[in-house]
Amino acid sequence: MKQVGNRNVAFSLKTRLKRLKRDSNRWSVFTLVIVLFLALPIIFIGVELFSGPGETWSHIVTYLLPEYIWNSLYLVFFCSILVLIIGVSSAWFVSRFNFPFRKQMEWLLILPLAIPSYIVGYAYAGIFDYGGSMDLIFRQLNLEFIRIDIMNRAGLAFVLSISLFPYVYVSARAFFLNQANNLLEASKMLGVSEQKTFFKLMLPLARPAIVAGLILVLMEVLNDYGAASYYGVNTFTTGIFRSWFSLEEPETAVYLSALLIIIIFALILFEKWQVRKVKFTSSKTNNTQIQRKESKKSMKWLIFSVVFLPVLFGFILPVTQLIYWAVLTAATVFDMAFIIISLQSFGIAITSAVITVFFALLLIYFSKWSSFRTIKNIARIGVLGYAIPGAVIAIGIMIPTLALDKWLIKTLGTFGIDSGLIINGTLIALLYAYAVRFLAVAYNPIDSTALKVDNSIPDSSKILGVGNLKTFFKIEFPLIKTGVFSAVILVFIDVMKELPLTLILKPYHIDTLAVKAFEFASDEMVMEASIPSLFIIFTAMIPVIFLNKLLIKK
Amino acid sequence: MKKIVVAVVALSFLVACGNNSNKKDNSTENKTSKDQVVNVYTHRHYAPDQNIFKMFEKKTGIKVKVINASADELIQKMKMEGKQSPADVLITVDAGRLSRAKDQGLLQSIASEILEKSIPEYLQDVDNQWFGLTKRARIIAFAKDRVKPEELSTYEDLVAKKWKGKILIRSSSNIYNQSLMASIIANDGEEAAKRWAEGIVANMARSPKGSDRDQVKAVVAGEGDLAIVNSYYIGKMLNSPDPEEVKTAKQIGLFFPNQQGRGTHINVSGAGVAKYAPNKENAIRFIEYLMSEEAQQIFTDANYEYPILESVLPVKDIKNWGDFKEDNLGLNKLGENNKKAVLIFDEAGWK
Repeated sequence: MKQVGNRNVAFSLKTRLKRLKRDSNRWSVFTLVIVLFLALPIIFIGVELFSGPGETWSHIVTYLLPEYIWNSLYLVFFCSILVLIIGVSSAWFVSRFNFPFRKQMEWLLILPLAIPSYIVGYAYAGIFDYGGSMDLIFRQLNLEFIRIDIMNRAGLAFVLSISLFPYVYVSARAFFLNQANNLLEASKMLGVSEQKTFFKLMLPLARPAIVAGLILVLMEVLNDYGAASYYGVNTFTTGIFRSWFSLEEPETAVYLSALLIIIIFALILFEKWQVRKVKFTSSKTNNTQIQRKESKKSMKWLIFSVVFLPVLFGFILPVTQLIYWAVLTAATVFDMAFIIISLQSFGIAITSAVITVFFALLLIYFSKWSSFRTIKNIARIGVLGYAIPGAVIAIGIMIPTLALDKWLIKTLGTFGIDSGLIINGTLIALLYAYAVRFLAVAYNPIDSTALKVDNSIPDSSKILGVGNLKTFFKIEFPLIKTGVFSAVILVFIDVMKELPLTLILKPYHIDTLAVKAFEFASDEMVMEASIPSLFIIFTAMIPVIFLNKLLIKK
Repeated sequence: MKKIVVAVVALSFLVACGNNSNKKDNSTENKTSKDQVVNVYTHRHYAPDQNIFKMFEKKTGIKVKVINASADELIQKMKMEGKQSPADVLITVDAGRLSRAKDQGLLQSIASEILEKSIPEYLQDVDNQWFGLTKRARIIAFAKDRVKPEELSTYEDLVAKKWKGKILIRSSSNIYNQSLMASIIANDGEEAAKRWAEGIVANMARSPKGSDRDQVKAVVAGEGDLAIVNSYYIGKMLNSPDPEEVKTAKQIGLFFPNQQGRGTHINVSGAGVAKYAPNKENAIRFIEYLMSEEAQQIFTDANYEYPILESVLPVKDIKNWGDFKEDNLGLNKLGENNKKAVLIFDEAGWK
C-alpha cells in the first residue's frame, strides 16, 4: 500500500512537471522576466519579512498597532463607500443621460485626481480654519461662524474620497461607454425598468472595472502620509514613518510595509476568488457606444447638480482656495522658472506614463499568451508597488540599482574608467521607480478592459495563422484602446504629483512641481505651496482634456 | 490642437533630457574638478537659502548642487550610497538628526578655525562633526485675554491642574516635540519625563493635529489657552501674506519658559561634512560661508531664526521679544535621547 502511495505522489509530481513543460512557452519566460524586473524592489522588501522586525516591535504592538489597524480599517471602509457612490453614480449619469454641460463634466470629473491629496487636505483645513475662508465669508455676511472641524478621521475619509474617486469614475465610465450598449438595448426590449437595469445588470457586469478602480483608491488611501499626519490620524503608513525615522528602525518600517503588502495582496486575491466562476467577456464584437437618454428639463438639471457636487467639492472648492492663496503669495513666490519646471514635470510624467503602460501591456498580454495559467497570478505581484509608501519603494529601488552601480564601477574601474554612479541619481533610476510604483495604475484599467474582449476573437485570428503580435495590434489593441488611454492619463497624473520617490531619487537640477510644492508645504508654508500646486493642476489638465477627446471620438 | 500637443511634448522632452546630460557631465567631472562643485543634501526647504547658495556661487565660483528631502530620507540615502555618495554637506533642521548621522558614521571631523571661533561649545559637536547654523526656541504662545504671564513659569509646570483642557501642542511625531522631550529626559530623568508627558496629555485641549501655526490659531479662537510652538513660526506668521494670520499672531503673548532655572529649550539647524565627501575643501568653505555675517543676516531676516554669530542681530520682530536665557544642554543629548523620547510619548498616549 505504502509503495503505491509513494508512486502516486511521484506520478503526480511527474505529471505536474510534464504539464509545466507542456504549458510553458516563451511567453511564460518573458512574463517572468518582466515580473522579476518590476517586482525586484518589492521582493527585496518582502525578503525583509524573514529577517524580522526591530527590537521595538513589541512596543509598537502594545501601544500603536491597534490604533493603526483600527484607523486604517475605518478609512478603507468609509472611503470605499463614498468613492463607490460618487464614482459609479457620476460615471453612469455621464454615460447614460444627456444634461447641460455634460461634455465639460466628463473631464471635470477626472480633475480632482490632479491635486495631490495632501494639498486637498491643506485646502480644506484652510477653508474651515479659524480666520479661514468660511470664517471670512461668514464675517462679511455678519453671521455667527459655525466651524466645522474637518481635521479628524471622518474629515480625512472625506478628503481622500473626494480626491480619489476619479479612479472609480474613469474605469466605470470606460465600461459603460463601450460595453454596455447591447445589454441596455436587450434589457429595454424586454421591458425592464431603468433602475432595475442599472442595479441588476449594469452594476454586476461593471464590477471588475469598478473593483479595479476601487483597489487603486484603497492602495492610495492606505499609503497616504501627508494628509493623515496633518489631520492627526495615525495609520499604518504614518506608523511606517514613525518606526523608520522616530524610532530609528528601518527594519521595523520595512516589516510594517511588508505586512501592508500582504493585506493588499489578500484583498486582490479575495476579489479574484469571488468572481472566479463568472466570465465577463461580452459575446458580441460590435462595441457601439452607449445611447444617451433624453429626459425632462427639470430632471436634466437635477442630474446636473448630482454630477456637479463631486466636481464642486473635489475640484472647484479646493482650487478656489488655492487661487486665493496664490494671489496672496504671488509677489514673493512666482517665478518664471516655474514654466521650465512645468515642462520638465510634463516631460518626465508623459515619458514614464508611456513606459509604465508599455510594461503593463507586456505583462497582461504575455501572461495571456502563455498557456501556463498560474503565471497570471505571478504577474500580479508586479502591481503591489502602488500600495507601498514611495519612500519605502525608494529603498527597494536603491538596493538592487546601487549593487549594480557598484559592480559597474568595479568592472569599469579595471579598464581604468572612473564612471561614478551611472543609474542612481539619473533619470534611469527615477523612471524605473515610477514604473514599479505606478504599474498598478496602468495595469488595472487595461486588464479590466482586456478581460471583456472575448477570447474567441483573437483565437480565431490565430487559427487563421496570424501571429500573436499582429493579432494584438490589428484586433485587440483597437478594442482596448479606451483602457490604454485611461491608463496613460492616470499614470501621467500620478507621476505629476508623486513626491517621496522623486525627492530621494531625482537627479540634481531636475525639479518637479510636486517637489516645489512640497518644499513650501513641508515647512508650514501652505499658502506658498499653492502656486506650484496650481501649476500641477493646470499641466495635468492638458492631457486630461486632450485624451478625453480621443476617448469620445470614434 | 494635435500640433500644439506634439510641440509641447517634444519641448518638454528636450528640457528633461537636456538637464539630464548636464548632470552626467558634472558628476563625472567632479573628481577631475574642471568645475568646482559642492553637493548639498539639505532638509532646509526655505526659499531664502537659495539666495545664500547663489551668493556663495558668485563669491567662490563653486557651484552648489542641492538635493532637498527630509533629513531622515537623506541620511538613509547617504547610508545606502556608502563610499559612492556624492554628498559633501548634510544640512538638517535639528541637532538630533545630525548626531544620528554622526552615530551612523556618515560625517567626518573637520578643522576650521572660523567655525570653532564663531559657534559656542554647546551648539556644535564635541568631535567637530557638525555645527549649528541657526537657533530656534520652543516657547509658549498664550491668549493675552485669558492668561497672565505671571501664571507661567516652566515646561514642567504645564502639567498643573489649572491648565486642564487648555494646552495645545502638535503630534509627537514632530521633531521639535521630540527634541523638547529629549531635553526634559536629559534634565529631569526618564521617570519624571514620563510623568510630564502623561500630565501634558491629560491637560491637552484636543487630540494633537495640525502644524505649529494651527496651534496658535486655535489659541486665538479659544480652543485652548496655551500653545507650545517654535519661535520662528511666530515670526513667519507676523509677516505672513495672509492678513488673517498676521492678525492672529498679534493677538498672542509669548513666554520663554524656565528663565529662572536652566533656560528655554533651543534647537539648531546645522550642517556637517559627509564622511566620503568628494569635495571636502569646498564643503568646509561652504559651511564657513553659512556662518558669515551676510548669510547669518539672511537666515534671520528672511526666516526669523536666531543667528548664531554674535555680531549679527536678530531681525526686528524677534528682537522685540527680548533676550532670553537658553538651555545650555549639549545638543548631542537631543540625538542620544530621541528614541527614548518617542517611546515615552507612545507609552503616555501622546499621539
